[in-house]
Amino acid sequence: MLRHFKILEFALSSLLRRRYKNLGILVVYAFTISVLASILFLTDSLKQEVSRVLEGVPELIVQRTMAGRHELTPIQYADTIRALPGVGEVRPRYWGYYYDPLTKANYTLMGLSSDQPELQQLEGRLPTASGECAIGPGVAEVVPAALGDEIFLIDSRNTGRSFEVVGVFRQPSNLLTNDLVTLTVEDVIDFFGLPGDHATDLAVQVFNDNEVGTVAAKIKQVFPEARPIARSELRRTYDALFSWRSGMMLTIFTAAIVAFAILAWDKATGISAAERLEIGILKAVGWDTSDVLELKFWEGLVISVTAFLVGVLAALVHVFFFGAPILARVMKGWSVVFPEFRLSPHVSLYQIFLLAFLTVVPYVFSTVIPSWKAAITDPETVTR
Amino acid sequence: MTEGEIIDTLIRAERVSKVYSPGLPDQVRAVDDVSLTVRTGGVAVLKGPSGSGKTSLLSLIACMGRPTEGRIVVGGKDVSKLPERFLTRIRRETFGFIFQQLNLIRDLSALENVLLPLYPVPMPFSEMRRRAEAVLASLGLAHKSRSKLTQLSGGEQQRVAIARALIHEPAVIVADEPTAHLDRALATELLDILQELNRKGKTILIATHDPLVHEHPFVEQIFQMRDGRIEDGSES
Repeated sequence: MLRHFKILEFALSSLLRRRYKNLGILVVYAFTISVLASILFLTDSLKQEVSRVLEGVPELIVQRTMAGRHELTPIQYADTIRALPGVGEVRPRYWGYYYDPLTKANYTLMGLSSDQPELQQLEGRLPTASGECAIGPGVAEVVPAALGDEIFLIDSRNTGRSFEVVGVFRQPSNLLTNDLVTLTVEDVIDFFGLPGDHATDLAVQVFNDNEVGTVAAKIKQVFPEARPIARSELRRTYDALFSWRSGMMLTIFTAAIVAFAILAWDKATGISAAERLEIGILKAVGWDTSDVLELKFWEGLVISVTAFLVGVLAALVHVFFFGAPILARVMKGWSVVFPEFRLSPHVSLYQIFLLAFLTVVPYVFSTVIPSWKAAITDPETVTR
Repeated sequence: MTEGEIIDTLIRAERVSKVYSPGLPDQVRAVDDVSLTVRTGGVAVLKGPSGSGKTSLLSLIACMGRPTEGRIVVGGKDVSKLPERFLTRIRRETFGFIFQQLNLIRDLSALENVLLPLYPVPMPFSEMRRRAEAVLASLGLAHKSRSKLTQLSGGEQQRVAIARALIHEPAVIVADEPTAHLDRALATELLDILQELNRKGKTILIATHDPLVHEHPFVEQIFQMRDGRIEDGSES
């Protein structure tokens, strides 16, 4: 134990002796790790946000399409769908998008149903009467508005409408409620001028999750112009989308990764004459091959773990404190349109281990292997 | 060989050869069929011109390389075929090597260079430091122990190299051309140090072509080398 401790102490002093070279490696290494970690953290957080959003989405949503575009759905569809085996409640949903020219932001206006548990976490209360609204944190920030204030919106008849803010959402996921303005169902119908016998879409409850696909197929059979969307399809789509974007980002940052790989390769393919001589001297004065390798292992480990911690910490700050300003526009896509949302911190241990495995381990190997070649040579040959 | 002779003989080389780059166009037979013995507590000199194989033979004896042919016995043990880690242990416990080029690590202090052999040894830092400071003091370098090598004169660096060779209290001091880079005064001073070490019981083995060394009265055995072979082995 004492021997290991002493070799570690010597490794630290060796690193300090070559402080400028090691600092250079550390900076490049940490930057590469921070870029990779930022992409992974951002992707994972976005997937988590989507996952939280989808928890509140019905198992099956039925929309009507015409010429490939989303149209309002006749409410009478609900009676036919409700009669299908395995189907529970069928609920019409009233919502739409609203562009606010004053704040240059897009909001989602939604008619509130009392049975939406994901909308229960708020400061204040939900709207219960006409002229009341509850708003998401993003809306509250850009308007700006707080409890008791009024927000001003222009309806489909180009008439200005005021709504009193009676609640502000405080959700674990900002993506869920960030751009949301909830009104009573009647206010939404009136605001958008929806025909009374139509809804935006229908939320369908299916008793058995395994039968969602079967129910969707039956709905499609009965209403050929309908587009049933299962929650699992949405989840897969978002996963694929963010994975694709993450892959694109990794591709873009390939240059940084390649630069680091070249640095690691440079270390792996040879050591300087001075380092070779130093190894020869250590061998000549009684260090065993395993002692030299342990020394190089500690040197590699100290550099790579330090760079890893600095890189991961920088990535955490970049993504969750500053909102990943460099990467977010690419990763979020359309949702970067105001109001911006703040990511909920989420770090997967699996990703941390994966990142450590892909960065720390190769670096340590690239440090030890060339030294091993020098360390197994007779000291006489090295010191001559 | 009698039991008494075995005890008296610390190092024995038997028909030792060393070939570098065997089978290649640049093959060199640096040591060729050499046999010699060095007595415990004796002072032996390998003398000869540059390229005569002195350093190669010295390195083989000090377990820094393996002979291509023949065998080397140190303290009654054949070290020619020992695995690396056993060879390292014998090198660490038996030999202190003073290199021709000194081979000190330039950006370490004198004290740090002297400490190097003790890192792989299970010895507390405090004891390591105490020993190193004592050895440096015995060589008149107590006041320079914290100095970087670049701040030391050639003679002082030589003494640091000697201190490093002594720190682990080896039985044999092996010196390769120890006076090559020293003026006459410093060379004489170095020989005095080696003589003093010999008086304390250390076996001394020196490779040199400097008459100042091989004509020194404390030298007991002289092996004249040429082209990798011993031409003459005499005792003074």
